[in-house]
Amino acid sequence: MLLSVSALSKHFGGVRAVDQVTWSIDVGETRCIIGPNGAGKSTFFQLLIGRLKADAGEIRLRDRVITSCHPFERARLGIAVKPQTLGVFAELSVEHNMILPLQRSVHGRELEAQLKTRLEALGLSAKRNFPARALSHGERQWLGLGMAMASSPSLLLLDEPTAGMSPAETEQTVSVIRQVASTGVSVIVVEHDMAFVRSLAVRTTVFHQGKVFADGSISEIERNDEVQRLYLGSHGAAKLRQ
Amino acid sequence: MRSLINGKIEPGRSVFFWFAFAAAAVVMAVLPFEIGRYTLLNFNSFLLMTFLAAGLSLLWGFGGVLSLGQSAFFGIGGYAYGIIVINLSSGGWSSLAGLIGGLLTATVVAAVLGWLVFYVRLRGVYVGIVTLVVTLVIETFLNQTAGPQWVVGSAHLGGNNGLGRFSGDIQQLSSLTIPWGAHDFTFMGSSKAFYYLLLGLMLVSYFCLRILVNSRFGIALTAIREDPDRAESIGYDVRLLQTVAFSIGALLAALSGILYVSWGNFITPSVFGVNANILPVIWVAVAGRKSIAASMVGAVVLQWGAQALAIQGQYALIIQGALLVLAVLLLPDGILSLGPGMSRLRLPSRRTTGSVALRR
Repeated sequence: MLLSVSALSKHFGGVRAVDQVTWSIDVGETRCIIGPNGAGKSTFFQLLIGRLKADAGEIRLRDRVITSCHPFERARLGIAVKPQTLGVFAELSVEHNMILPLQRSVHGRELEAQLKTRLEALGLSAKRNFPARALSHGERQWLGLGMAMASSPSLLLLDEPTAGMSPAETEQTVSVIRQVASTGVSVIVVEHDMAFVRSLAVRTTVFHQGKVFADGSISEIERNDEVQRLYLGSHGAAKLRQ
Repeated sequence: MRSLINGKIEPGRSVFFWFAFAAAAVVMAVLPFEIGRYTLLNFNSFLLMTFLAAGLSLLWGFGGVLSLGQSAFFGIGGYAYGIIVINLSSGGWSSLAGLIGGLLTATVVAAVLGWLVFYVRLRGVYVGIVTLVVTLVIETFLNQTAGPQWVVGSAHLGGNNGLGRFSGDIQQLSSLTIPWGAHDFTFMGSSKAFYYLLLGLMLVSYFCLRILVNSRFGIALTAIREDPDRAESIGYDVRLLQTVAFSIGALLAALSGILYVSWGNFITPSVFGVNANILPVIWVAVAGRKSIAASMVGAVVLQWGAQALAIQGQYALIIQGALLVLAVLLLPDGILSLGPGMSRLRLPSRRTTGSVALRR
């Protein structure tokens, strides 16, 4: 078990955004978390990365309790994040964006070598001195993802990684995530785009009213009558079958 | 080391820049021989403020933290220097003790204040408000220390009159003095020696800060300026880095304060006042807060301009205020952003990336 949460709760006033959630992910596993706005998946994501403090419950990374750890401590323990916003520093150069996660673990020539390799892999070598704001939307998404991977994490959290991407870029993202997972990194993907979730074809957790409502393969989720009737409604069901 | 001195964070990397830098250094080196003693006295008072401006540039331009109370550390450094020098009587060693004591006191106070401010995650305008309130509280407190009970050892705080020659006591506040063989060497405020001391310290401070902002610390600091939450999510302790930058800014402000006391042999609570705190913000904003060099040059040029205006009439502050408003409205990155070859980042040409690239 890489990461596990038990009885995790977060309330905002009277609203139970995350309510007694118990959930876990294995080493090398990729998991999708889906649900409409207000289902609690974003709050759950913020709790995992430490941006929000839990009211109750526990988060463990391997054997270590990290419930009260700050985001920077979680990052140092191997949790990398690609936020829903692009996750790049717009006014800094592409190079400096990439150096930021790299310089925490490597220095000197090793840093320069890794920088070169990683920028080449992202297709951004020619733009290394450009400010990140000068990149296209898709390029910034890739840079954000590249930055998350540059810290050599054991767990990668992706918040709507395909937001604003073209269908071709979305398809490319699927293969990138599979590639990352094949190196033994666990991946948690919070996503709205059902076509993308279907393409990824991994175990999927459905959130509803702050609780885990269903869990299983994407085909099981799509066949689940309860999910369709209680959770998605007729409109959502139609959308799910698209 | 070369990549740190000429790194990509601090602007001014071109041959043109270094040529202008060398030319300015030569002019500065011969300047005291071309101007009178009174002008030199004035010029020294402008130069000693460059450290305060450089510290503010680091904190605000690179770290994104606008402190409206940098003069608190200027004053704390100056007062601590004065109190130590008065208590240890005159002499090279007491002056050195005052220098070290002044720098340490301001830095420790900044570290504690920074810890309180940044560890409760105050951001933006709130940091400015807290720092301004702190400096105004110190000013108010010192203003009521005229009574004989307000002494630190043999140093009488002196209320409005402050420390030094205007306190009405016999206490002497000597200029910075170093032990020099059998005799001590004193850097009098109007002397060439004081001028060259300032020039040397400016060069050392500038290159140290240049190396610092181009280092791993500097890159992390600029990331925090852009997006503190994202910087934290890739493993940087934002609170710690901001506290360190705040303390370095305070150290430099204290150096200015100590040199100010050494220059004029007095210090009063007015150094903690609103004017004293806002003027450095104007120098740095107008010149270009994202460059250490521009901030230092701005401090000298705008002080000189203000004095020239003050001689003509009472419009200096109004014009400086108007400059700040214009800078904020028209040139958010200061006059620096107009300079040739001063852009920190190479913008792509239309040919390489199309129309997306140059849109802001």
